[in-house]
Amino acid sequence: MRLNTAKVAVAVVLAVTAAACRGGASGSGTRDTTFVEGALIGTAPPNNNAGEWLFPGRDYANSRYSALAQITPENAKNLKVSWTFSTGVLRGHEGQPLVVDKTMYIITPYPNVAYALDLTKPGFPLKWKYRPENAQAAVGVACCDVVNRGASFADGKIVYNLLDGHTVAVDAATGTEMWKTKMGDVNRGETITMAPIVVKGKVIVGSSGGEMGVRGWIAALDLATGKQLWRSYNVGPDSDMKVGPRFKPFYPQDRGANLGVSSWPGDSWKVGGAVVWGWLSYDPELNLIYHGTSNPGPWNGNQRPGDNKWSAAIIARDADTGEMIWAFQPTPHDIWDYDAVNENILVNLPMGKGAKARKVLVHFDRNGFAYTMDRATGEVLLAKPFVPMNWSSGVDLATGRPMVNVDKATAQGKNVKDICPSLEGGKNQQPAAFSPKTGLFYVPTNNLCMDFEGREVTYIAGTPYIGGNAPEKAGPGGYKGEFIAWDAVSGRKIWGIQEPFPVWSGALATAGNVVFYGTLDGWLKAVDARNGTVLYQFKVGSGIVGAPMTYTGPDGKQYVAVYAGIGGDMGLLIAGDVAANLPYDVRERGTTLPDLARYTSWGGMLFVFSL
Amino acid sequence: MRTFKTLVVVPAIVVFGAAVHQLANATQATQATQARKQSANAGNQPTYLVEHPDHIQPGLPLTMRFASITNPYQGNAQRIAEGAKLFIAYNCMDCHGADGSGAMGPSLQDNRWHFGGTAGEIFQSIAEGRPDGMPSWGGRIADDQIWRLVAYVSTLSKGHSVTTENFTGKTVARTGH
Repeated sequence: MRLNTAKVAVAVVLAVTAAACRGGASGSGTRDTTFVEGALIGTAPPNNNAGEWLFPGRDYANSRYSALAQITPENAKNLKVSWTFSTGVLRGHEGQPLVVDKTMYIITPYPNVAYALDLTKPGFPLKWKYRPENAQAAVGVACCDVVNRGASFADGKIVYNLLDGHTVAVDAATGTEMWKTKMGDVNRGETITMAPIVVKGKVIVGSSGGEMGVRGWIAALDLATGKQLWRSYNVGPDSDMKVGPRFKPFYPQDRGANLGVSSWPGDSWKVGGAVVWGWLSYDPELNLIYHGTSNPGPWNGNQRPGDNKWSAAIIARDADTGEMIWAFQPTPHDIWDYDAVNENILVNLPMGKGAKARKVLVHFDRNGFAYTMDRATGEVLLAKPFVPMNWSSGVDLATGRPMVNVDKATAQGKNVKDICPSLEGGKNQQPAAFSPKTGLFYVPTNNLCMDFEGREVTYIAGTPYIGGNAPEKAGPGGYKGEFIAWDAVSGRKIWGIQEPFPVWSGALATAGNVVFYGTLDGWLKAVDARNGTVLYQFKVGSGIVGAPMTYTGPDGKQYVAVYAGIGGDMGLLIAGDVAANLPYDVRERGTTLPDLARYTSWGGMLFVFSL
Repeated sequence: MRTFKTLVVVPAIVVFGAAVHQLANATQATQATQARKQSANAGNQPTYLVEHPDHIQPGLPLTMRFASITNPYQGNAQRIAEGAKLFIAYNCMDCHGADGSGAMGPSLQDNRWHFGGTAGEIFQSIAEGRPDGMPSWGGRIADDQIWRLVAYVSTLSKGHSVTTENFTGKTVARTGH
């Protein structure tokens, strides 16, 4: 039984992180810089073994922070590749491996093979390999490559989602399929790419399909049997969305009955998007699951006047029942494809000098604003741009609503130029990390702008429901990505590393004060968390779109593991020509990342680094 | 190694009327070939070689079925323009990219065809769908609408070779999704 009681684990985490935050000297004698004093990860991990990694974001807070400290700014230059593993699959390798009980678990892109590697034996032979049945038709229904964002471990099971809309649980010791439940219908445009989390014996799952006119939902399955316990929609009548007397949105304009219908014309909410394809967080003390919802369907806003609730929203739900407790839209009536599915990192931050730590969530939205919000109530405490942007002049904290620059509002039949950020957002699927040692967030970002022309579109089930063309280009400055360190109390960037390509990998923060990320042109980088100095870099075989993670090997050493395998939006739709394995699909170079294929092609490897 | 049983099953699944007819003819031809070999070897060991030179090959070309099918709208500028509109109206553009440059679905510009590039084969791809997620439109939209799409799609290949990518060359505009 791997689940620990929340109280014990919280006490351990608070003790460890509080000590770290007092800014004591590191082993080498240099003084740690703490930018935000007293910042803590908001929840306990599902395990308190720092050498393991059981959940996609390491813990329920989605901190992607490891207490491992063997790798430091002083010795990181000695990092080297320790071993590699070919996944046997090409296309976008998003997500991250798990390490539990001296075993590494890897989930591949479609066909979503699961591997269990024995870390105790030389060469890391497999303990088992699970090859699920997985409908081939899903390949042509997934908008943005056949990625998978990973599994969760709970109660001796590896649980994850298949592209064709099933959720599976596999026995972690033997690889035997324990259950497989159909959650989405490919014929209606539903696929699943997201990583589930397990909360109190429930597997929490959402789907993809915001570009396919899918009506979005989030559901809970029983971990033991796979039986669906509840499913809640994110658009439609209150009863479908599990809106009841406990629903208390913070802002007055967000209150009222059946907003999931009244903020849409007619029945258009039925194909309204608002799917849940991003990362999930959970606060055990508040008993709230936090998730985001995608863009509304279609992109063409003329076909759906109104706020389109609750698309492009951050939602807090009761973990037991799925009831909606609060909801907030970073982008009401989204007309730029600014999904709000990005992760909500749960931290306790003192929101001013000498202030008591406040339970917040920090969310780097597609729309370019970094939000610090009260996670109990949904109040926006701070919303500041974390990338160059021009569609909005700011967020009105009295209402939480963005003030839209009308010259950047898109419309049917109108070609609006140079909107920043592009539809890929200031940040997309690539997850950020938080370090309680520095109190900063480490955020992989995009610097892209777009032209956007809306057009009328007909809903045809199983086909895209988009209604827009949006070519992209570099943002101001000409660099297309930046890895930044962000202070969520004052809302400012502390340092940044500019990259020629969008930084499409996740971030990893460690107690050694070394943070890790990867680039689309295939560089894994180790960086000083305090000042952004690049300490080490290695060119892996293919662009990095997954998230680095770290674990302790059976030999006691700290290892950092990351997938190399470009894909996702960048490696399928934008680049176009990085694939080579399909002789009948030879694409030409695109204008957004015209040189990318010079530096990377598709691949499928795990790279593991150590000192 | 394929068994003889497998070789026979492949044409049966695809139901190529013409192919079956040709198979029957070829069997007679083979028997004749075999007979010649046996007579040539008269007095020596019998020949057990059974040849099927004309009609059983890996990847038996699908064009055998479609050889006689032509697109009534081939090269018709008006119908091609209508096909271009249907390409948008039926959301083809959103899977295959503007001008068929490739997105969720493969490029239609490269003159490389997974399931064949003749008019009949493109018609079949659209009408019946394909395993990696191409939907089947036959029976949902009229055949003559599919022929308009075929006429349009047939024009998308730029005519230049995509075989070599030299990275000092030009790039093409892509529309993101």
